[in-house]
Amino acid sequence: MKINRNIIHYIWPVASVLMTAILLLILIGVDLGSAFSGFFRGMFGNIYQISEVLVKTTPLLLAGLGCSIGFQCGFINLGAEGQLYMGALASSVVAIFLGHLPHLLLIPLMMVCGFLAGGLWALIPGVMKAKFGLSEVIMSLMFNYIAIQFIALAIRTWLKDPEYPFPMSQPFTESAQLPRLVPRTRLHIGFIIAIVLAALVYIFLWKTARGFQIRACGCNPRASFCVGVNVNLNIILSSLLSGGLAGFAGFVEVSGVQHKLMDGISSNYGYLAVMVSLLGSNHPLGVAIAALLLGALDIGGLSMQRSAGVPTSLTTVILGMIVIVFLLRHHFGKKEKEISHE
Amino acid sequence: MNDTALLVTNLLFASVRMAAPLTFAGIGESVSQTSGVLNIGVEGMMLGGAFTCFLVTTYTNSFLLGILAGMLVGLLFGTLHALICVTAKQDQTISGLAINFFVLGLTSFFFLVLFGQASTLPDIKTLPVVPLPLLSKIPILGPAFFSHDLLTYVLYIVIILTTIFLKKTDYGIQLIAVGENPMAADTSGIPVKRLRYFASMFNGLMCGLAGSYMMIVQFGFYIENITAGRGYIALAAVTLGRRNPVAIFFVSLLIGLTEGVQFTLQSLGVPIPSQVFSMMPYLVAVIVLLFSIGRSNDPSALGVPYDRQERS
Repeated sequence: MKINRNIIHYIWPVASVLMTAILLLILIGVDLGSAFSGFFRGMFGNIYQISEVLVKTTPLLLAGLGCSIGFQCGFINLGAEGQLYMGALASSVVAIFLGHLPHLLLIPLMMVCGFLAGGLWALIPGVMKAKFGLSEVIMSLMFNYIAIQFIALAIRTWLKDPEYPFPMSQPFTESAQLPRLVPRTRLHIGFIIAIVLAALVYIFLWKTARGFQIRACGCNPRASFCVGVNVNLNIILSSLLSGGLAGFAGFVEVSGVQHKLMDGISSNYGYLAVMVSLLGSNHPLGVAIAALLLGALDIGGLSMQRSAGVPTSLTTVILGMIVIVFLLRHHFGKKEKEISHE
Repeated sequence: MNDTALLVTNLLFASVRMAAPLTFAGIGESVSQTSGVLNIGVEGMMLGGAFTCFLVTTYTNSFLLGILAGMLVGLLFGTLHALICVTAKQDQTISGLAINFFVLGLTSFFFLVLFGQASTLPDIKTLPVVPLPLLSKIPILGPAFFSHDLLTYVLYIVIILTTIFLKKTDYGIQLIAVGENPMAADTSGIPVKRLRYFASMFNGLMCGLAGSYMMIVQFGFYIENITAGRGYIALAAVTLGRRNPVAIFFVSLLIGLTEGVQFTLQSLGVPIPSQVFSMMPYLVAVIVLLFSIGRSNDPSALGVPYDRQERS
């Protein structure tokens, strides 16, 4: 009986998401077989598709790691989108105005600037929360829109490429582009960097004293304060790192994929990162898996559109649904276990 | 002199149009926040309401059915939010975000499926203007505020009723108590969960109404993601207006006014990029938030799920 309960507990979220997808597919009258085969071929049909999944995973992983550091410290960072844009802007400015620098000097400079820009953008809500107790939720949301409009303004005025009628910056020089990992794909070295950063975040949060303090502040700020931990400092630090990683995702996106700054460089990566962080339980390994899952979902959805004409918005529905059932799963189908504890 | 008066009247009239959906959603959100439930899903609930209202009005040609359907969808997602945050005690911000994504996906999906093949954008009639007798005769302000459609007058009534509800009735006081100290409220016999559910559902209703307003008063047509961030502006307006319905209305008017000024300036050929104006509400919200340092009146339990068995 108890085992049954547990199985149901794991099966109902998956089943309900799957049922919704199938129901919507039936509703628009596409062939289920071709839709699903398109979906899975899109995810790992050939080396190019796999590389596309990893290209999507990279910014999600980086920004997701950023969000997870914030969440671990109780800093609800909903501003990853804006921080990503600011990071992209800063590294683009470096790439465009210092494009003649050699590769090995320019790329690290862009990295640092992207990280700092994102970090500083997150630092404002961080300081406001730590010093003055202002809600970082609303604040970071507002900062998203300010950043997006600021970039939109930049690429229409002082950063605009005068040779093109469209609002975008000049294309980056060769030395400002991240090298490709696999020829004839878009997969770039940023993916490796993201994996390394995930490992570093794990070591930082779980193997260092500072990381322990950050997690302690997230669990119980008052208790941490009472044993002499500087809670405010940890919140500010985590907001800096959190935004920095999101800014880094912006750098990776412009330098590795787009090679120029334009509107919509992030397709909601900042908001998806919040969900990646949640689905991955704020743990680097979980975040990596969740980022891969969401990346695959996105590419699979695109492929399903090509092969069976299913609107890509189905991916968004599924994503929202996954998070909703993930949140509800704790409550429904777990009753028996709770009672046995008491 | 007459030209200036006409310009001011037109600007104000347009501002009211812009402000109304923000105020509807803002009032819902402020009731919800007062009870301690933060809902980032305003954007999604507005979008869901707008799409449903558009759909139902297109097929039935009835404004009333459209509005009711829009409100019903809002109510549905408001209830879902309460289910996640009050019953399952999960994170409120993430729940709201998930609702936004879910609704954005659903509406885009069905819009493409239903109207994707259509060569012309389907549109619906908008509500007729009904000038109020006497009041609409006031110079400048009359035509701007009292020469609207019925739904805008509903807004005025909602503003007044919510203000009275929050400030003067027992239920309003109980709602504030639940938001400030749910444990104390629970101890004194106030049904914390039920009130939070009520507040969340009311929020959904209002957001659905806001979406319907956008459809049958403001636009008269639907495109994908038509709310385009207005839900987040409504959140900013709630923060600026400090959860006071009247203040939210005036803040929204101000935001609407900047949009109106933008169109006027653009038509006069003044070269100010539209991004500057789009940034404005958020910038103002941040600046006002900075000024509210130390005088924050956020409910103490805002964003915190209440668990009866947990010691605080």
